[in-house]
Amino acid sequence: MKARMTATLPKPRRFSVSRRALPYVLSLPALLVCIGILVPFVTAAYYSLQRFRMSQPWNRGMNWGENYLNFMSDPDFWQTLKVSLSYAFLTVGIELLLGLGIALLLQKRTRLNNFISVMLLMPLMCAPALAALMWKLMTNPNFGILSYLVESIGFTDFRWGSSPSTALFTVVLVDVWVYTPFIMILLLAGLRSLPTQPFEAADLDGVPRLQQFWRITLPMLTPYILTASLFRLLDSIQQFDIIYAMTQGGPGDTLMVFQVEAYLNFFQSTNVGRSAALMMILWAITFFLSNIFIKNWLRLRERARGEA
Amino acid sequence: MRDKRGPHVMNHTSPIERILRGAALTIVVLFFMFPIFWILLMSVQTNETILRSPPSMVFTPTLQNYQALITGRLETQAGSLDIEFMQNLWNSVILSVGSVALALVLGVPAAYAFARHKFRGSEDIAFTLLSFRFAPPLLVLLPLTMYFQELGLADTYVGLIWVYQLICLPLILWIVRGYFEDISPDVEHAYRIAGHSWLSTFRKIALPLAGPGIAAAGLLAFIFAWNNFIFALVLASADKQPVTVGALNFITASGIQYGQIAAAVIMSIAPTLALALYAQRYLVEGLSLGAVKG
Amino acid sequence: MTETALKIDGLTKRYKADTVLDTVSFDVAKGETLVLFGPSGAGKTVLLRCIAGAVDPEEGSIEIDGRDMLDVPPEQRGIGMAFQNFALFPHMTAFDNIASPLTARRSTKDAVREGVESVARLLKIDHVLGHQPRALSNGQKQRTALARALAASPELLLLDDPLRNVDAKLRFEMRLELPRLLAEQGATVIYVTQDYKEAMALGDRIAVLDGGTIRQIGTPEQIYRSPATTDIARLFGDPAINLLDVEPEQDSAGIFAQLSDTRVPLDSMLVGAVGKPCTLGIRPEALHFADTGIPVTIEAKTPLNEKTVTLAVTKRGREILISRPAGRPAPSSGAAHIAVDASDAILFDRGTGALIAATETNAEVAA
Repeated sequence: MKARMTATLPKPRRFSVSRRALPYVLSLPALLVCIGILVPFVTAAYYSLQRFRMSQPWNRGMNWGENYLNFMSDPDFWQTLKVSLSYAFLTVGIELLLGLGIALLLQKRTRLNNFISVMLLMPLMCAPALAALMWKLMTNPNFGILSYLVESIGFTDFRWGSSPSTALFTVVLVDVWVYTPFIMILLLAGLRSLPTQPFEAADLDGVPRLQQFWRITLPMLTPYILTASLFRLLDSIQQFDIIYAMTQGGPGDTLMVFQVEAYLNFFQSTNVGRSAALMMILWAITFFLSNIFIKNWLRLRERARGEA
Repeated sequence: MRDKRGPHVMNHTSPIERILRGAALTIVVLFFMFPIFWILLMSVQTNETILRSPPSMVFTPTLQNYQALITGRLETQAGSLDIEFMQNLWNSVILSVGSVALALVLGVPAAYAFARHKFRGSEDIAFTLLSFRFAPPLLVLLPLTMYFQELGLADTYVGLIWVYQLICLPLILWIVRGYFEDISPDVEHAYRIAGHSWLSTFRKIALPLAGPGIAAAGLLAFIFAWNNFIFALVLASADKQPVTVGALNFITASGIQYGQIAAAVIMSIAPTLALALYAQRYLVEGLSLGAVKG
Repeated sequence: MTETALKIDGLTKRYKADTVLDTVSFDVAKGETLVLFGPSGAGKTVLLRCIAGAVDPEEGSIEIDGRDMLDVPPEQRGIGMAFQNFALFPHMTAFDNIASPLTARRSTKDAVREGVESVARLLKIDHVLGHQPRALSNGQKQRTALARALAASPELLLLDDPLRNVDAKLRFEMRLELPRLLAEQGATVIYVTQDYKEAMALGDRIAVLDGGTIRQIGTPEQIYRSPATTDIARLFGDPAINLLDVEPEQDSAGIFAQLSDTRVPLDSMLVGAVGKPCTLGIRPEALHFADTGIPVTIEAKTPLNEKTVTLAVTKRGREILISRPAGRPAPSSGAAHIAVDASDAILFDRGTGALIAATETNAEVAA
C-alpha cells in the first residue's frame, strides 16, 4: 500500500531507565524528602526517654520510661487528657449533628441550595488561627458584638474565653464554626449519591418520612458518617491553632490540650523530655485512630471510584 | 450534574414544614456567614465607630485601615509604628506557592508510580506518606527546631517549604494517584505501542488526562499551606512568618487598633476564599482525599 | 510464505495463583493472518498484550523477525494494535489519534498529514478527523482505532476483537471489508475474536485458545472438519454439531456405527476405534433427508433465511439437528429418514473427548 515506515522508528536510547527500576526512580525524590521528616520523629521518641531540660543541660541523661511513669501521678497530665478528649468528642459530636442536619436541609439540588452550600464552605477556608482571631474580636468585652448581644439578653457576666467556666464552650464554638461545613459537605455528597430506589419503594409502601430516615438514610449514610467523624476526630484531638490563638491554653490550665501543653512545656518550661513524651502518647492515640480511619476511607474511596 | 435524585425529600411538603426549613436555613446561613460579614464591617471602620456602644451598622466606611497595612505605617496616639504585615503576606505567598510547587514536582511522579506500578512495598510507602497527614505536627516540629539551628535552616524559606511537605505531599499524592488510576491503562499502552517512549506517554497522555486532578490537588494544597499556623509558629523566625502567625502577633503590636486587625484578617483570608470559590467543584473530592466524589 | 514473522515459544503468564497463559507456542508466517479464537477468559487478550509489550510474561520467548522482544519496550517493537475498547486518546482529535504512530516516527508534517488522510479515506472516516473521540459514533471510534493501528503500516498488526463493541450491521460490513483491507496492508496479522464466523472468514489459520493453552491450530477447513476435541467441535458451527454416543463395530464390509439399528459406515482407517466407547460427531449440514437411512420423527422445523434447521428425534430418543440450504425440500412433520456420508462423520474418544484420527499409522499397523 505504501512504503513501510518501521525502519524510521527512533533508535533506542541507552540511558532510558530500566522498566523495573522506573517506579522506584519516580517515587524516590518524594521518599527522600519524607525520610528527612522521619528523622526528627525518631529523635522525639529518643528525647521522650530522657531527663532533658534545656535550662539544665548538665542534668541531661537517659531516664527510660520515667517521663511516662510520672504521668500516672501527674494531675496536669490527666487534665490534658481530659480536656483533649472532651474537646475532641464535643466538637465532633456537635459538628456531626449540625452537619447532618444542614446536609439534609440542602439535599435537594436546587440553585439556592447549591449556592448556600458553597457559601457555607467559607468558614472552612479560613485559617483556624485567623478564625479564632475573628471570634476573639467578636467576643471582646469592650466592643465585641457577641459580648453585647449576650449581655443584652441578660448574661451580664459572660466572659467567653477569659473565664474558666466558658472557655471550653468558646473554643468549641469556633471549632464548630470552622469545621461543621467539612462534615456537612461530605455528608451532602454522600446523601446525593444514595440510590433512589429504596426511597421510591418506601414511598409506595407508605413508610413515613421519619422512619425512612432511620431505616434507610442513616444506615446507607453510615460509611460517610464514619469517615467524616474519624477524619475530624483525628484533627480535633490534636487541635492547636484555635485554642492557642484564642487563649494559649488558659485561663489557668482550663484548655491545656496535648499540643498546647507540649508546646508550652517545650518553649516556656523548656522541659523537652516531658514534652516529647506527651507527643508520643498523642501519636499513639492518633496512630490507633488513623488506622481505623484509613480502613474506612479506603472502602469509601473504592466505592466512589466505582461510581465514577 | 443534573440528576433526578432526591425527589423523595420534598415531594409533599406542608407549608409549615417549608417555613421551618426556611427558618432553619436562615439561622444556619446567619451563623456561618455573620462572623466574616462582621469582621469585614469592622475593617472599614475607625476605632471610634468600632468602640461605640451599642454597636451599630451605621458609619462612614473608610479604607484607612487597609491603607495603613499596605503602606506599613501605623499612626497611633503614641506616635507612628512600623508594621510588617505586607512582609507576612509576602511570606505566605512564597511559602504556599513554593510548597505546592515542590509538592507537585515530587508528588505527581510518585503518584504515577503508585497508580501504575504495583511495585514491592508501594502500598506500605503510600500509607506511610498518608499517615504523615494524621501524625501530631509538634512531634516532628519540636526536634526540628534544634536540627534547624544546626543546619542553618532556621531563618530560611527552604526549611519551611520542606516541612510544609508534611501537609502538601500526602494531599497531592493521594488525590492525583486516584486520577491516574482512573485513566485506562490501555490508552497509555496504545500510545506506547504507537511508538512513543515512556516519558512522552507520561507527558502527552497521563499528565493532560490527570490535569484537572492535579489542579484540584494543587489548589487544595495551597489552601492548606496558606492556612497553616503551627509549622511557622514553631519554626519561622520573625521575618519569615506568614499571615497566620503575623496577624496574631499584630494584636499585641498594634495595641488597640481593632480596625487594622480586622483588615489584616480580611486580607489574610481573602486569597483562600477566592481560590475556594474558584475551585469549589473539586473541594469535596480533595477534602476527603478522594473518598467522596463531588 | 515460509519466513517466520512471529515466533512464540513456551509463553507463560501468571497473575498470583492463576496461570493465564500456560506454555503457549506457535509461529506466524510473514503475511499470514492468524486468528486467535476462544471463549472469554481464555487468555487471548493477555497473549496479545504480551506480544505488544504491555504485559511481561513470566516465562517463554517472543521473537519478531528473529529478534528476541522480551527486553524491547513496546514503542520499539514496530507493532500496530487495535484495542477491543478502542483506547482512543480522549483529549486528542481523531486526526491526532491516527497521527500518533506517524509522529513517533519523526515524519515530516506533510508526510503525517498525507499518511493520516490516506488511511482515513480507506476507512471512510476522513470527514470526522477534526472531532474528539467523544463526538464520534461507536463505529467511527472503531474505525479510528483501526486507522491508528494501520497508520504506520506496521509489519505486525494485532487486532483485539475490533468488532466486539460495534453494532451488528457495522460488524457485518466490516467482516466483509476487513479481509480486503488486511490483504492490501500485506502485514502479518493476529486477530482475536470470540466469533467463529469471523474466525473462519478472516483466518489463514486459526489457533483455538482455551484455559490458557492452545488446543488446536490449523486452517479453518482443518478445524472445521477435524476438530481436535468435542469442545472445539462444539465451538465451530451453527447450529452446533450433533454428538452421538456410539460403539464402532467391524464386519466384512468395513467399519460402521449403529444408529437406531441403522448402519452408518465409517472410514476404514478408524480401525483403532472398534469396540471402544466413542462419540460420533456429525455436522447438521452433513445430514440430508433420504428414502432410506436412520428413521426419525420430525419435532420442529425452523426456517432461517439461508437455511432450514430441523430438529428430529431417533427411535431411542436422541435429538439430531439437520441443516439444509433454503429451497431444498425438508419434511415438516412425521416420520422421515436421514442419511450421512461416511466422510463427514467425525469420531471422538468418549472418555477424553479427543479426536480419533483416521491416521496413516493405523493403516501401517494393519499392513
